[in-house]
Amino acid sequence: MNNSWQPKPGDKIFHPRRIKRYRLRRILGVPALFSAGYGNVGSSIYYALGIVALVAMGATPIVLAIAGLLFIFTALTYAEGTAMLPEAGGSASFARHGFNDLAGFVAGWALMLSYIVTISISAFTIPPYLGYFWEGLKIDPIAGTATSIGIVIFLMIINVIGVKETSFLNIGAAILDITTQVSLVIIGVILILLPNPSVLVQNMFAPGNWPTLPNFILGIALASIAYTGIETMSQLAEETKQPEKRVPRALIMMIFTVLVIFAGISLVSLSAMTPQELASEWSRDPVAGIAASLPIALIRDILKPLIAILAGTILLIATNAGIMGISRLAFSLGNHKLVPPILSRVHPRFKTPYISIILFSIVAILILSPGLFAANVFKNMGTLYAFGSLLAFMFAHASILILRARKPELPRPFKVGWNITIRGRELPISAILGLFATIIIWIIILVTQPYSRWVGIIWMVVGLITYYLYRRKQHMPLT
Amino acid sequence: MEFYKILVPVIGTDADEEAMKLACRLAKKNKAKIWAVYVIAVKRALPLDAEIESEIRTAEGILDHIEAVAEEQDCEVDTDLLQAREVAPSIVDEAVEREVDLILMGVTYERRFGQFSLGNVVPYVLKNAPCRVILYHQPTA
Repeated sequence: MNNSWQPKPGDKIFHPRRIKRYRLRRILGVPALFSAGYGNVGSSIYYALGIVALVAMGATPIVLAIAGLLFIFTALTYAEGTAMLPEAGGSASFARHGFNDLAGFVAGWALMLSYIVTISISAFTIPPYLGYFWEGLKIDPIAGTATSIGIVIFLMIINVIGVKETSFLNIGAAILDITTQVSLVIIGVILILLPNPSVLVQNMFAPGNWPTLPNFILGIALASIAYTGIETMSQLAEETKQPEKRVPRALIMMIFTVLVIFAGISLVSLSAMTPQELASEWSRDPVAGIAASLPIALIRDILKPLIAILAGTILLIATNAGIMGISRLAFSLGNHKLVPPILSRVHPRFKTPYISIILFSIVAILILSPGLFAANVFKNMGTLYAFGSLLAFMFAHASILILRARKPELPRPFKVGWNITIRGRELPISAILGLFATIIIWIIILVTQPYSRWVGIIWMVVGLITYYLYRRKQHMPLT
Repeated sequence: MEFYKILVPVIGTDADEEAMKLACRLAKKNKAKIWAVYVIAVKRALPLDAEIESEIRTAEGILDHIEAVAEEQDCEVDTDLLQAREVAPSIVDEAVEREVDLILMGVTYERRFGQFSLGNVVPYVLKNAPCRVILYHQPTA
């Protein structure tokens, strides 16, 4: 009977789409995931140390350690969230599931700000490292900032065209990066710290070197910039094999590696330089400062160009990761109707989300442009980053807590331990502490830092107006 | 040589048609199962699950056509559309997952820097495939 059936004119034969949402090839394993994450976090040591030293002075290692504790809390929150919801979007996705669309939008929009500032800061710190080859890049603000802007434009074009980047490049860069940083720590400890440990004590605790309490707290906020890669790893969950197992594993590996290397580098840097030197001459290229302070000329001569090239490459990869991260995030928010679809528009030929790449690269250039005239743009970028990322982290912690309360039945392949039970619901202490700490630090930044306060608020208000108009046009509720 | 499960990756060339006809001929003896797959490579600036309408339309058209080619040969074929970052590893993954015993690919004559080139996908599949691989090359005009 079936064989005799013939379509008549006007009949439409419905072919269901072959594509299935979960027929996506996931190829990343723990090494590739760790490398992508470390490529981002590890790159931040090349500028975070200097930016923190600008305010925390001699207390830089202690401030980084306290922020490291916060980093552990946040990483654990992300590990649970990503294993539970392995999709692009990170904290925006957690907030959407935990609260509602509006919370998802606010978290995502804040995250976008931190991505944009990551692009700006990474690009801003490439020229000082390359200053080894041509000093003008380090000392001339116009040459330096113009180079940074050129780098962003170059990467913008590359990303619009959509040149392939392989995991192999990430893994190679991460291995080279960790090897160089560990070597620098070992050499620094043997040649600088151990022969005269009193210098470190002097540089940390002597009068004039210890920061005021507000600066100490601001230092903790700025130190959050040292831990920028958590989101990246979360964003990559959707293309990881068995993300529920591998993402937490890669995150834990990253926590351990990053904390050890950051502790070593910060201690060695304050053994090699006074906090004043670290916060002025070497603020944008602190790792080059360590290499330049080594007492043996031969090692110095090998390490200086090596670090210049390596830092330049790693920071270039980090800038690129920022551009790719923000375009993916914009696309993901667009898919969930949180931002206008124009941001998800794909180029007909290159198949890339060219409008979001171009738009957010332009915003990153605008953030960079005061660098052509002013010297304190570096600290401002740091506080602006903290404004966005802390807001996103806040939503991440709050969402994990709310999901424990509202949706306890959701499968949690990785569940954070050390819980307290409130009204029959298990709540992780790390997320509670993380939430309170991020709220307090965020408020401090809001109150004490006029630049990030106003730029951050304007960014959020522009976003909320766009969100309101878009949702209204779509006849969708705000929440 | 006997084949029971055959995977035919397609990209929409004439060689794909001939490769599918060959797959049908090889499949007849043992009533082997044939899968044709098209892989959409998603750029890293997009999430992996991004639905790029134009790409999906093209892919669906190619798979429809390959189904018709198989039908002409009186042969049944299952078609699948995958999204991945890289085409070659996803073909190998698919072969592993489906436990196929043959990958049959059509190759076209391409020149790169003045030399005949197989591109990136074919060498990767040849190197990493868990099964036999047959390449079908169209005679050049």
